[in-house]
Amino acid sequence: MRYAMAIDIDRCTGCDACAVACKVENNLPNDIWWNRILTIGGKTANSPKGTFPNLQMQFLPMNCQHCENPPCVKACPVGATYKREDGIVIQDYDKCIGCRYCMVACPYSGVRQFNWKKPEYAIGMAMGDAAVTPHQSDVVEKCNLCIHRVDQGLKPACIETCPNRARIFGDIDDPNSEVSQAIKGRSYVKILEEKGTKPSIFYLT
Amino acid sequence: MNQNTDKQVYSKPLFIICALLAVVGLVCWVMQLTKGLQMTNLNTYNTWGLYIIGFMIFTGIAAGSLLFSSSAFLFNSMAEYKPYAAIATIVGVICSVATAGLFIMVDMGNPLRAWRFIAGANVSSPMFWDFLIIILYLIIGIIFVSTLMKVAKGQKDSKSMYGISLAAFIAGLLVTITSFVFALQVARPLWNNPVQPISFLAAAIVAALALQIILFSALNKSGAMPMSSDKLAKLGKIAGIFLFVELLVVIGEAIVGMYSGSGEEAPIIYWLVAGEGAVYFWVEFIAIIAGLVLLFKKTDTSVTGAGVALFAIFMIKYNLLQAQLSNPLLIYPGSPAYSSNAYFPSLIEIGLFIGIISFGVVLALIAVQKISLGTKTNVGVNSNQSHGNIGVEAKA
Repeated sequence: MRYAMAIDIDRCTGCDACAVACKVENNLPNDIWWNRILTIGGKTANSPKGTFPNLQMQFLPMNCQHCENPPCVKACPVGATYKREDGIVIQDYDKCIGCRYCMVACPYSGVRQFNWKKPEYAIGMAMGDAAVTPHQSDVVEKCNLCIHRVDQGLKPACIETCPNRARIFGDIDDPNSEVSQAIKGRSYVKILEEKGTKPSIFYLT
Repeated sequence: MNQNTDKQVYSKPLFIICALLAVVGLVCWVMQLTKGLQMTNLNTYNTWGLYIIGFMIFTGIAAGSLLFSSSAFLFNSMAEYKPYAAIATIVGVICSVATAGLFIMVDMGNPLRAWRFIAGANVSSPMFWDFLIIILYLIIGIIFVSTLMKVAKGQKDSKSMYGISLAAFIAGLLVTITSFVFALQVARPLWNNPVQPISFLAAAIVAALALQIILFSALNKSGAMPMSSDKLAKLGKIAGIFLFVELLVVIGEAIVGMYSGSGEEAPIIYWLVAGEGAVYFWVEFIAIIAGLVLLFKKTDTSVTGAGVALFAIFMIKYNLLQAQLSNPLLIYPGSPAYSSNAYFPSLIEIGLFIGIISFGVVLALIAVQKISLGTKTNVGVNSNQSHGNIGVEAKA
């Protein structure tokens, strides 16, 4: 049993719906994004490279890659970040000392984010699922594949929300799972695979 | 009691200024604790800054000082420094470990959870290894000094220095493990190479000797503990040799990074040598060259040379951190926006940095006062007089 995600980048239109769904579902504080849509193209987000009419732009949804060999888990001096048996890499806020070594160790720069101050929220009330662990100041946090949903047999919020069904989730060890079927026969890349992290996110190309 | 024992080895204004700066640092820490690390100029990318630089420098000083003090008892060519080993260890090791520990504490978001380093230790983390090594420095430093004291009082045989000196020397070499915090990270190509352990060792020796030169020049000037200019210059030359090793590392990294023009290291080196980090790089480069010139110069400028060498080591660590952290592997635009800007610390960070170092100086001044009292009477400073002299007794 190992949870994995496939992201069909040909289907991704960079609409940011998954990023917002994640933000709301997990009641993320201001300035914290567990799920970001990066632009491969120009120098700013949502801009292409090249000169008209020869323009190129692609989107790269980026969240924790839930590596099979996660450098962050090795690095954390106090065991605040660990990998569950189902492959989900978790950050335990109560144990985090805020040294930010995991952020240094993670090659997927920016997927681990730090609460530099007491969490503040866009609106005066909590959003999303009540089962979400409350956020803390001066700790690192990141995507946990919506464990509060997955543990109930539901899919992560980003999967449910994607209007183009670019994101597919499931057990990669089960050949009949949605994710295994989605990958079957498709070419894919894993980001920075050469670093030996064995990421669990398959980018279908 | 010898009348010299009442003599103040340092000027009171220096003590008061350092104590005040330490209080300013404390105020900065309180502000940072109440408002969070947002008071720093650190961010998602430049996640480490001035505090970690301070930590690297002072763990280096501790390790280098262990190497220096133990060398006096292990190598004939260094035996002339035996009388200085006690004070060098107290200031260079014990005070430095306290300073380095504070740097880690202020860098932590949740310093009250620091006990988890023991209770929740993750043995695969290089940072945990580093934690053990710092504790080891402290323990070995204390045993080294206490053995030295016992030998001086005749309670122990001088041969008993050999074992603890060997342990101290090996512990000093373990500063290479501090480099593992950086060198073992696959995410950071600039650090992820075998030159880092060597560079950290060289930096440790330079920083430690530079500090010792400044310390002994001051003690010499105050008359508390004479050290001939020859001995000071010799320390300067040794520091210079290791600063030259650092120069080779800097030049080597620049050439290796720029030669192919592409790859993982190239953008980092271009950023550093000719991009946003260029000012910092060239300040570092000039500081290394100036340090080398001053340390190897024949006239007695070792204190200036030592100061410049310390600054060069500071810049080496500064650029090691910011060049890599400002240039992560994934730099595609998105939210939060990636910025390749150079890192410059906030006023709170600078206040805390100066405050912690001032606290270390206060500790050192107190130690120097206490020890030099003992030195004058029974520990012995002048290597020509063998009455109760730590070094000479041990040598005998």
